[in-house]
Amino acid sequence: MVRKMIASATLAIALTAGATGAKAQDAGKPEAQTFTIGAHMPLTGTLARSGQAFNEGMQVAVKMCNAISPKYQVKIDLIDDESTPAKAVSAVEKLAADGSVAIIGGYGSNIIGPASDASDKLGKVYITAGAVSDELTKRGLKTFFRINNNAGYERGIATLIGDLKPQKVSIIASTKEAPALLAEGLEKDLEAKGIKVTVHKFDPAITDFKPIINKIKLQDKPDIIMMSAYENDYVGIIRAAKVLKPNVKLMVGTWSLATPKMYTEFPDLMNNVVGTSFLPFPVEVKSEEGKKFAEVYKQTYNKDIEYLSTLSFVETMVLCEAIFRAAEDGSLEKGGLAEQMRKTDRDSLLGRIQFDATGDNPNFSLSMGQHRDGKIVLVSPKSAANGEVVYPGLPW
Amino acid sequence: MSVTSPATSAPVASSRFQGRGALLGAGLVILALLPLLTGASPYMLGLLISALILSGLALSWALLGNLGGMVSFGHAAFFGVGSYASALLAAKLGVPVLLAIPLGGVVATLSSIAMLPALRLSGPYFALAILAYAQIFRILATELDWLTGGAAGLQRYPGLPTLFGIDLADRAGSYVVVLACVVLFAVVYVLLRKSHVGTALRAIAESEDATRVVGVNATLLKSWMLFLSAFIAGVFGALNAHIIGFLEPDYAFSGVWSVMPIIAAVFGGYRSVLGPIFGAVVIYLFDQVIAKSLIPVGHQILLGIVLAIMVLLAPNGLAGLVRRFFTKGQFNKTSEKSHAGA
Amino acid sequence: MTDLILQALFSGVLIGGVYALVALGLALAFGAMRIINLAHGELVLLAAYMAYLVESRTGLDPYWAIPLALVVVMAVSWALFVLVDKIKDHRELNSLILTFAIGIILTNAILLIFASDMRSTSSAFLQDAVSFGDLFAMRGEIIAFVLSVVLMGVLWWWLKSSWYGRAVRAVSSNRNAARLMGINPARIETVSFLVAGALASFAGVALYTMSVVQPATGHALTVKAFIITVLAGVGSIPGVFLGAVLLGVTEALTVTLASSALQELAGMVLFLLVLFLLPNGLFGARARRG
Repeated sequence: MVRKMIASATLAIALTAGATGAKAQDAGKPEAQTFTIGAHMPLTGTLARSGQAFNEGMQVAVKMCNAISPKYQVKIDLIDDESTPAKAVSAVEKLAADGSVAIIGGYGSNIIGPASDASDKLGKVYITAGAVSDELTKRGLKTFFRINNNAGYERGIATLIGDLKPQKVSIIASTKEAPALLAEGLEKDLEAKGIKVTVHKFDPAITDFKPIINKIKLQDKPDIIMMSAYENDYVGIIRAAKVLKPNVKLMVGTWSLATPKMYTEFPDLMNNVVGTSFLPFPVEVKSEEGKKFAEVYKQTYNKDIEYLSTLSFVETMVLCEAIFRAAEDGSLEKGGLAEQMRKTDRDSLLGRIQFDATGDNPNFSLSMGQHRDGKIVLVSPKSAANGEVVYPGLPW
Repeated sequence: MSVTSPATSAPVASSRFQGRGALLGAGLVILALLPLLTGASPYMLGLLISALILSGLALSWALLGNLGGMVSFGHAAFFGVGSYASALLAAKLGVPVLLAIPLGGVVATLSSIAMLPALRLSGPYFALAILAYAQIFRILATELDWLTGGAAGLQRYPGLPTLFGIDLADRAGSYVVVLACVVLFAVVYVLLRKSHVGTALRAIAESEDATRVVGVNATLLKSWMLFLSAFIAGVFGALNAHIIGFLEPDYAFSGVWSVMPIIAAVFGGYRSVLGPIFGAVVIYLFDQVIAKSLIPVGHQILLGIVLAIMVLLAPNGLAGLVRRFFTKGQFNKTSEKSHAGA
Repeated sequence: MTDLILQALFSGVLIGGVYALVALGLALAFGAMRIINLAHGELVLLAAYMAYLVESRTGLDPYWAIPLALVVVMAVSWALFVLVDKIKDHRELNSLILTFAIGIILTNAILLIFASDMRSTSSAFLQDAVSFGDLFAMRGEIIAFVLSVVLMGVLWWWLKSSWYGRAVRAVSSNRNAARLMGINPARIETVSFLVAGALASFAGVALYTMSVVQPATGHALTVKAFIITVLAGVGSIPGVFLGAVLLGVTEALTVTLASSALQELAGMVLFLLVLFLLPNGLFGARARRG
C-alpha cells in the first residue's frame, strides 16, 4: 500500500513537472504549428458508451503528444455520428472541409465502411480501432488503417481456450455484427483444435438469459462458456449462470469485460471471469509510455483506464507521430501521411504496431485477463502473462 | 391548394391557378438546384442528400396517413426491404442499379401484401402492427444469412452508375437523382389527390361507414395506398443503400426510418404535399447543423422539444403556418379551398 | 427436456410479472383516455435511474428509491398530462406524436444527466440465487414478481371499489355520459396519469434490480408494454397480467425449444396473431377495428 502511494506520488510529481515544463515551452514558442485531427464517434444511442471511452483515450494521447513536441501540436475535432452511416459520412466531409489532416473513425463496420470510403475520396488518412470486419481491408483503400481486427480477437481467445484443452465449449453470441463475426471465427478455430463447439445466437433485445443457460447446463454440458457480446449482455448472462450454476469450469468473454470498472460495479459477478485485455490491474506497465498513459488518464478522468480507451490511445499516438513525421519532411500537405503511416513500426500497449498493404495491423493479438478479487491478472498468452489462470474458476 | 402544391397540380386547376402554380414550381426548381449552382461543399450536399431521402420517406408516410387514413410506426419495414432487395439484385443477379432501385420498390410493395390483414385495424393498432412487421423483417434479415449476409451485413455491391458521362455516385450526381425521385413522387401524389380516387379516399377518411353505403370499396382503395406508400419507401431505401454502400439489418430496419419521417411530416404539415418534403429538409438540417453544434451529445433533445412545440402550437406544421400567413393576404380564396380539401 | 421446459415456464412467468408491471401504467392511461403514452417506457426508465442514483450515492438497497422515484416520475407524468390535455384536434394522432416527442426529450435528458453507461444493481442480496426444488431464479426477480402481483391486486381493487375507480371506468367507456353524471373527465384523467406514473415508478425500480438499463432502453419498454396491452385487450387488469405472462412464457419457450435469436420474432408474431384473430384481445371487452 505504502509502496503504491509512494509510486503514485512520484509519478504525480514527475507529471506535474512535465506539465509545467510543457507550459513553459508553449509560452516560449508560441509559433508551434497546430494540426487538427478529425474524429467521429457514437456519442448518443446504445453505443454512446463506446464512443465516450474512445474519446477519452484520444484526448489523453493528444495531451501526451503535445507535451513532448515543441514544434507541432495536434487537437481533436470530434463529431457525434449517432451510429448512422450517413451521418458518419457527413461528419468526415465536414471534418475534411474544416481542415482536418486525418480522421479517426468510430465504432462498427457498418459505420466505418462508408465513412472511410468518403475519407478515401477526399484523400484523407483514416484510422479506426472500432471495426473488425475482414471486408473492410479487402477494399484495397490506400488511406485506410486499423490497429485491431477480428483475427486478433479470435487468436487471443482461441489461444487461451486451446491451452486449457476443454472437451466442449458453448458460445453465446449476440447477433450484432462484431460479436457474430467473432463467434463464427471462433467456432471454426476451436473445432480445428478438436474441441466440440455449440453456438447460441441471441437477439440483442434479450434480457433474461436463464433459458439459454439452462439449455447449456442440461444439453450442452460444456467445460467453458464463451460470451461474444457487450457489457449489458455479460451482466445478464453471468447473473443467469450464477443462478443456474451450470457445471462449467470457466466463463470467458471478450471486449469490455476484464476491466476494473466491471468489477467495481458488479463485484459479485466478475470474480474469475476472463476477458480480452491489454493491461493487468493494478496497472503494471513496463513501458514508459504505458505508465504515463495510466497516470494522465487517471488525472484527467479520475478513473481507471477503460478498455476501449487503450485502443484509441494507441491509434491516436501512432497517427500523431505519423503526422509529425510527415510535417517534418514537408509531405503532409502533399498526401504523404499515408506513406508515413505505412512506415509505422513501434511497440505499444497492444504489442507491435505495423500496417500491411491493406492497412491492417497483422501483429494484433490480445491478451486475456482474469478478474481476481478486484485485480486483473493477465493469464494468456504465456509471453504476456503475469499469473496463472485459475481453472476451474467461477464467479459463484 | 396552390400554396402547397407544385406546378404539376395545374391540369385540374383553372388557368389562374395554373399561372401561379407554374411560378411556384419554377421557384421551387431553382431553389432545389441552388446548392449545385452555388457549388455547395460535399458536406452540404451530403446533408441535403440524407435530408431528401428522409423527404421521400416522409412523403410516403404522409401519403398513407393522408389518403389512406393510416398512421404507420413501421416504415422502416419498407425502407429496409427496398434497400436489401435492390442491393441483392444488383450484387447477386447483376441487375443494373438504376433498374434495381425501382425493383427494390416493387419488392417492398410485395412485402406489404403480408400487411393486408392489418388494414382492418384502427388507429394505433395499425400503427403498431406495422412496427411489429418492421421488427420481424429485421430479424429475418439477420437470420437468412445465406441471402443477406446476416448480421455482418452486405458490402461491396454496386453503387450508382455513370450515366451519359455524369457520375451519379458523385455527391452532385446523387443529389440530382434523389431530388428527381422526390419531385417525381410528389407529382404522383398531387395527381392522385386531384383524381377521383383522391376524392373517394378523402371521403373514406371522413367516414368509412358512409362511403360503404355509397359503394366505394374502402378496403381495396386503402390497400392500393398501402402498396404505393410501400413502393415509394422501398425506392428511397434502395437509393440510400446504393449511396451509402453498406447494409446490415440493424441499420436498414433501424427505428430511425420509422420515426424520422413521422417527425418530419408532422413538423412540415402532413396534410399537404410540400409539408413533409420541406419538413424533412428543415428538421434534418436543424438537427445536424444547429442542434449538434449547441449540444454535441444528446442533441436530439432539441428535436423532441421542437416536435412537442409544433404539435401543441402549430398542429398543421410549417405548411399550416405558411398558409395562415398567406390567408391574411390575397390568397384568401385559395386557402379556404385547400382547407376544404384537407 | 421436462426440466428445461419447467424452468423456461418458471422464468417466463417471472419475467412476465415484471412486463406486466411495466405495461400496467400504459394500459391504464390507454383505457381511461384512449391515449397511448409513448413516453411510458421513458417514465419507467426514469424511475430506474432514480434507483441507480440512490444506490450509487447512499449505498442503500435500490428499493429505498421508491419514494424519490414516485415524486419525480409522478411529477413528470402529471406535466405530460397537462401538455396532452392541451391538444384539441385529432387527439389520437397528435397525442401519439406529442408523447413520442416527450419520450425523446426524456431519453436524451437521462443521457445528458447520467451518461451512457449501462446500469444495474450491484446488491449481492438481490443477485443471489434462490431455488424452489429444481427451479431457479434471482432473488431480485422474485421480489419484483411479488411486488407486481401485489400492485396489480391493489389497482384492481381500487378500480373496482373506489369512487375514482368507477369514475375512471365510466370516463373510459363514455366520456360524455360520464360528464352528464357529474364526473369531471379532466380530473379523472389526471388521476389516471398520476396512478400510471406511480406504477411506472415501481416498475422502474423493479427493473433496475433485475435487469440492465441504458438511456436507449425506454423505447423498447414502451413497445413491449403496448404489445401486452394489445394481448390483454382494453380495460382488463387480470388481462394485462395474463398477457404479460403469456409473452414471457412464449419468449422463454422459443429460446428453449427453438433458438434464442428468434425470441423477439416469436413475441411479434404472437402480437400479430392476437391482433388479427382475436379482435378484442385475449380478455378485453371492446373491439378495436375501424
